[in-house]
Amino acid sequence: MLSAIKNLFHSLRFRLIASVVTIEVIMLSLLVWNNISIIHTTHTDRLRDTAISMIQQIATTSGNYMVAVDYATLKEYLSNIISYKELSYIVVVDRDENAVIALGTVTPEARPKIDTHPALVNDNVFDIAQNIQVAGQPMGRMLMGFSLSLMDDAIHKSRNRGITIALIEIILTILVTIIIGLGLTRRLGLLSKAAGEVETGNYSVTVPTETDDEVGKTAAAFNRMVAEVSKRTQQLLYEEKRTQQLLTENRLLIKKSLEVQEEERKHLARELHDELGQCITAIQADAESIRDLSPECDHRVITSADAILNVSAHIYDVVHSMMHLLRPSILDNLGLEEALKDEIDVWKKRNPKISCIYDFDGDLSNLGERINITIYRIIQECLTNIVKHASASHVSIELKRDRENLHLSICDDGIGMDSAAPSQAHIGLGIIGMRERIQALNGIFMHETSTDNGFQIFIKIPNDKEQ
Amino acid sequence: MHIFISRTGQIFLNNFRYQLLFIFFGLALCQPIISIAKENSNCSDASPIIFGIIPFVSAEQLVIQFSPIALYLSDHLGIPVRIETAPDFVEFARRTHEDKRYDILFTAPHFYPQASSRAGYRLIVSVDSPGMWAVIVVPRQSPIHKLDDLKGKRLATVPPAGLATLLVRKYLNDAGIDPDEDITIISTPSHDASLLSSYYGVTDASALMQPPYAAASQQVRDNMRIIARTDSTPHIPISVSPRINDSCKSEITKLLLEMSTTQKGKEILSHNSFSGFKQTKPEEYDKVRDLLAR
Repeated sequence: MLSAIKNLFHSLRFRLIASVVTIEVIMLSLLVWNNISIIHTTHTDRLRDTAISMIQQIATTSGNYMVAVDYATLKEYLSNIISYKELSYIVVVDRDENAVIALGTVTPEARPKIDTHPALVNDNVFDIAQNIQVAGQPMGRMLMGFSLSLMDDAIHKSRNRGITIALIEIILTILVTIIIGLGLTRRLGLLSKAAGEVETGNYSVTVPTETDDEVGKTAAAFNRMVAEVSKRTQQLLYEEKRTQQLLTENRLLIKKSLEVQEEERKHLARELHDELGQCITAIQADAESIRDLSPECDHRVITSADAILNVSAHIYDVVHSMMHLLRPSILDNLGLEEALKDEIDVWKKRNPKISCIYDFDGDLSNLGERINITIYRIIQECLTNIVKHASASHVSIELKRDRENLHLSICDDGIGMDSAAPSQAHIGLGIIGMRERIQALNGIFMHETSTDNGFQIFIKIPNDKEQ
Repeated sequence: MHIFISRTGQIFLNNFRYQLLFIFFGLALCQPIISIAKENSNCSDASPIIFGIIPFVSAEQLVIQFSPIALYLSDHLGIPVRIETAPDFVEFARRTHEDKRYDILFTAPHFYPQASSRAGYRLIVSVDSPGMWAVIVVPRQSPIHKLDDLKGKRLATVPPAGLATLLVRKYLNDAGIDPDEDITIISTPSHDASLLSSYYGVTDASALMQPPYAAASQQVRDNMRIIARTDSTPHIPISVSPRINDSCKSEITKLLLEMSTTQKGKEILSHNSFSGFKQTKPEEYDKVRDLLAR
């Protein structure tokens, strides 16, 4: 509900109509107020003028009666006048302020306070007085009261009429404004709706221009813009598709390359084991035979045979080491978990100042050849990098497998690096290589680092035995 | 001593505050004297004095003509003098005789005897003129030239009790014309009304007293012609009510008589075309006593 009201207030159509209606209501209210004020002034002025005119005329006429002290005739004359609808009373006082005639709603003793204007009356009767003079000689005074009831009724009716007309005008204005507003904002609504369609990706939408006004020009510009956006979007989609295809191909290539590399390494390790190992074994056997068969234990022969044995043993160690690097046989023999433990233990022995803890969770036995070698190589690469660049004192490795994914995190507390620094490029190849390996398995590779906050790598690979 | 007085006087003259103080105390001392003088006015017990004037002209015209005299009396007596009249002659007579309403009475000569006998009014002066009479006037172009021509015509007069009416009726009777049979008498409220009725052609002729005719506008008089004048009567009397004490009566009499002796008084009298007032004996009005009886 609140949201609907909020949306309503944000509507241009609503604001436009509301603004016009508000202005109209204010202006009409002012107009009505002004008219009421004019009506009131007109009526009160009319009553004042009428009253003054009447009392002057009556006082003039009454003068002769006052001189003649003919109050009976004067009363008869005034009795005809008192029937005037607005007249409340007439009091005539003589030169001694004695009431000689009192007609209407007043007592002879009453001497109401004289009013200056009907608008300033408090008792609903406009009281006025006029000296009665004959040839400039005072003959008495005339007091007259004019009821404001009729005037108030007239003002009330005029005011009601004015308010009714204003209300009708306001209603008509609202209706006309709404109709015109709807007409004016209809095309803006279409434009807004079309923009919404474009926002959802529908570039086929067009807005009718209808007329050559501002809205029509805006609609035409919108149509051109949408056409251009559509064209560019199509182009981008094509480019993206092509890039995606290239990326897929590239990843496939990398995948193949890694497979070939691993196969080659495996082959090379096997050859080294099978061929060079047999040869070294043969050399060692021959060297021992020479030493054992030397007559009378010729010292020189024995020394040479021992040298051969030592050299062959050294060659064996080198070859064995190379074989391990090329293809750790333990990975094939005992599985990933044991191979990693072995690798980490060896690493820990070589770097006793760096503590390393690891946690393997879940079944890691049947992850598949590609995942096994990838995880193994990445951990191997990370440990090498930590030694070379991190200056870390603590390393933690966590490898977990759940029903859907395999999660690997490797964190150190080393110097880290500024993630925004250009110098990051020098370690970029290792990171890029790891990312490529993971992406080749449809996995996600992320790393976080900042200066003095170590380096963290997070990997997620979907469980897929086909890999 | 002389030096002291001179120096004190010099200081007084040069100091505005002392001067103001002197004026204040001077006025304060004078006020009781003025008040005593007013209270001791001969007419103070009659305040305000009602100056009743017979409605021989319209009320407005009457006020115009007699206000200067009322103000003159008021100024000199130190009390208000108010002009009053009545709707008609009959009511004026009733108020005079029965109500004794008026303190100073300016009435028609033929009303005075009754005012005197019935209400005790006392004559003090009369208008200083040989006498007054009624006239019968017709429009200048009228075919009426003599009394006989009036037969069968309409004659406007003042109300039936008015002096002009009574004088004209007597005059017509004496001339052998029956005012009730030979002509049509049309009563109007006043002398002005009577005169204007024939001036505007409403009636064929008008009867009115000569003084109001003389006071009418020049334009009206230029277009009228007098065809007859009645016998003369004593001029209008001014009398006072029995309420007016003798000293007040004497003062009023004195003031009225003095009017024609001063420039200001003459100016006031000019509003009425009166030359002044004179002392008159009540007996002079006996000859008009019978007019009302007719």
